[in-house]
Amino acid sequence: MRLILACLLSLSLLSSAEYMGATSYSSDDFEAEFSSKTDENLFDPLSGYNEIMTSFNDKFYEYLLRPTAQGYAYVVPQMARNGVANFFENIFYPIRLVNNLLQLKFHNSWEETERFVLNSTMGILGFRDVAGEELGIKAHDEDLGQTLGHYGVGSGFHVVLPLFGPSNVRDIAGLAGDMWLNPINYIKARDANLLDSSEEALAVTALYTVNKTSLHVKEYDNFKKDAIELYPFLRNFYESRRNKLISE
Amino acid sequence: MKRILALAMLALLYSNPLLAVEEENISTFMQSNIDLATTILRDKKIQKIEKSEKLFVIFDSIFDYTLMAQLAIGGKQWAALPPSKQIEFTKLFEQKLKVSYMEKLDLYTDEKIVIKNLEKIKDTRIHLTTHLMKNSEVYEIIYKFYKDKNNSWMIYDVDILGVSIIQTYRTQFADILAKDSFEKLLEKLKQPDEATPKKQ
Repeated sequence: MRLILACLLSLSLLSSAEYMGATSYSSDDFEAEFSSKTDENLFDPLSGYNEIMTSFNDKFYEYLLRPTAQGYAYVVPQMARNGVANFFENIFYPIRLVNNLLQLKFHNSWEETERFVLNSTMGILGFRDVAGEELGIKAHDEDLGQTLGHYGVGSGFHVVLPLFGPSNVRDIAGLAGDMWLNPINYIKARDANLLDSSEEALAVTALYTVNKTSLHVKEYDNFKKDAIELYPFLRNFYESRRNKLISE
Repeated sequence: MKRILALAMLALLYSNPLLAVEEENISTFMQSNIDLATTILRDKKIQKIEKSEKLFVIFDSIFDYTLMAQLAIGGKQWAALPPSKQIEFTKLFEQKLKVSYMEKLDLYTDEKIVIKNLEKIKDTRIHLTTHLMKNSEVYEIIYKFYKDKNNSWMIYDVDILGVSIIQTYRTQFADILAKDSFEKLLEKLKQPDEATPKKQ
């Protein structure tokens, strides 16, 4: 019995010793895998401004947006807030449709159209996502930044926008284009406007933002806790996430 | 005697190189791990601390924390550190990962995780794609394995929604080290969470 025990112990010690010893790997492979993406040669000319804007946005969230969203959540039940979120997602259909078409994703464009028709009618103006819940037709989120990326436009350097948050040169160009398609914006030069003035547009956009935030406060706070340095944390998250979305 | 033997067996289990995960059974091995983890997560009777302890037993056998720490700080920086600092950093980094995971437990409701795809990138790398389903939404999580010296497959990184965990830390560490010393970085890793996101 003793012998078995001794054997077992020595074996486990041996292997763990081996494990501890394995601290230096033939790590060139790994280094290439990670350093190719960002790191030292990262081009971040606006880093000084970006850091300040990140902390401004963070304060805006902490002291204004989150308390507002929490107050709003206290008054408006979750079901209604989900409905409002669905309503907004539904009217953003033009952005998704145009960008799916621009990327020649015809099947997705068709599904987007199906969603819009079904949710606007059976889903009562889009408050219920009937297509997604009952028929499993999922939204295909695309925006102009993704479309540009799809055709090989590089991201350019990182820019943190006031209130909008992390972005980059390519996505800012995309954002400008998408504004034209966004039904809750008021643009004089555009023939069809859902809203009558810029003030209305601002109010509706604020409602959209507060409503959306109210549904994700817990997740966002938890996510932010992972950060050791907020700016590089968010920058890396944003750029990786965008690359992933473009590749899909 | 029995207890000692059990302990010894446990020790044996922990020393993972002997429990080599073979390539052909990564999927089944991970599926059983995921199932086990899900059962633990759903158990309403056990407390959060106990829950995470049970989960970490699973994680410890498949995550190579030392390599993860090394990759997060970057090879050059790692090589420049004395072994004692390497060990200290690894411990702190492992702790950080675990605390971050524990905090996520509060968000868990009844998500399901299914294995979607196993892809061999090259001889020594395998990517295991899983989908986490929450309500009607699907989140992609990729576990990245490498073949270690003992021919066992170990996880060295996890991609969540296309964002690599190691890369996330790597950019932050690089940013800190560009301005501050390594000691400062250790300090920041030690800090309780609420003080960290603030910029001076």
